[in-house]
Amino acid sequence: MTMDELRARAAARQQTCSQIKKMIVSRLDLEIDPDWITDDQPLFGRGLELDSLDVLELYVAIEAEFGVALYDSDMAVFGSVSRLAEEVDPALRAVSA
Amino acid sequence: MASVLATEHPEDTAYGEVGDATVPLRFSSLAEEYRVLRDRAAVLDLGGHGLIQITGSGGVDFAQRVLARDVEYLTSDRCMMSLVLDESGQVVDQVLAFGREDGLLLESSCGAGARLLEHLLARVADDDVQITDRSGDLTVIGLEGPYAWGVVGRLIDAELASLPFESVVDTTWDDVEIVFARTGLTGEYGYQMIVPVESAAAMWRRSLEHAQAAGLEALELAMLEVRQPIPRHEVTPGASVIEIGANWLVDITKDAFVGKDAVVEAFEAGGGRRTVGFTGCPDVPALGTRVQAAGQDIGEVVYAVRSVGLDATLGLARVTGELAAAGLELSVGGLPVTTLTSPYVVPKSWSIPII
Repeated sequence: MTMDELRARAAARQQTCSQIKKMIVSRLDLEIDPDWITDDQPLFGRGLELDSLDVLELYVAIEAEFGVALYDSDMAVFGSVSRLAEEVDPALRAVSA
Repeated sequence: MASVLATEHPEDTAYGEVGDATVPLRFSSLAEEYRVLRDRAAVLDLGGHGLIQITGSGGVDFAQRVLARDVEYLTSDRCMMSLVLDESGQVVDQVLAFGREDGLLLESSCGAGARLLEHLLARVADDDVQITDRSGDLTVIGLEGPYAWGVVGRLIDAELASLPFESVVDTTWDDVEIVFARTGLTGEYGYQMIVPVESAAAMWRRSLEHAQAAGLEALELAMLEVRQPIPRHEVTPGASVIEIGANWLVDITKDAFVGKDAVVEAFEAGGGRRTVGFTGCPDVPALGTRVQAAGQDIGEVVYAVRSVGLDATLGLARVTGELAAAGLELSVGGLPVTTLTSPYVVPKSWSIPII
């Protein structure tokens, strides 16, 4: 894989992650710069400290913004922004498989 | 500083020197203890964590100044994890701060108690702040695992098991006053009990009637797998909070704290390196092993181990920011690796309710 291809793959993921961070900050009225959230930090409990109500709000927001319906039985999707990015853009998951 | 529980450990316990502490690395085998932690419930001797009390009329203001997260309203029924930074924004330690009626109690990371104490004492300017090292009269025992809640029920009180995350309760165990907290370092259900040293052995023995002991190696592996920062491995000289990826342990919206200016400056400057997980090379690479992308040097390995959960090498690399993303094929020491999405192992506790 060439450096340009690697950069393009990284940029695709970082762009989706950035979109998700902005959505989280906007929907949950967080008083932080979206870029302060890292791709790998936990979201639920530790890290961003989302609670179950926040998660419900994000289910709605994700479906509205990305057209992806998540199911509340799988908390692993909130393991990190990067993990969430793979849910809303399965092409990213294929890259990391 | 040896663990106050050392006399309770099995004879063939493997110990290691971590900062100012001698801590149990393994009681049996890493694989066995890891499985206990990820599948059942592990008891942890956290005696290597220093305990430092901040009291006095200016204690809370002092804590608010030296901790990177907002503890101004940290009540006695709450705790939170925070970084402690120096003036240049470098990480001094990662602490668990307990709100107390008369101030705060800080729990250092493993082996970092003396360094943290020195850092705090050097920044006390007024008589209205008292810093007291409590590591000699208190110690910490942890419970961690998808069924740790069951151990809490059998050991102390079932109602404590379902406390909200980072809740703290002052309670009694065997007529001894203890501080009980719902915490967690590995993504599994986690609890900590701060107990007087003279009662620690009895609590340790009683805990082992319901769970198995796990050492520092299993704990740190499980922490790495969920990207819980481990300061002694990840804080390399000169690395900023942002490069380490520990942003969530800093409240950048807080008015002021030691190190804030440097952190804000680094954040606003952008660029720099970032930390990303990887797996792939058959042998665990040495720290500092170069990381390459398409033949170009982009960074280095900062921490790597053999992950029992992945049955593969798991490491953290600090690389140029534009390539710090999951799903990339890089090389470490000339061998192919793939960068990973956190968490690298999904904790079982995320799908097991507390009953």
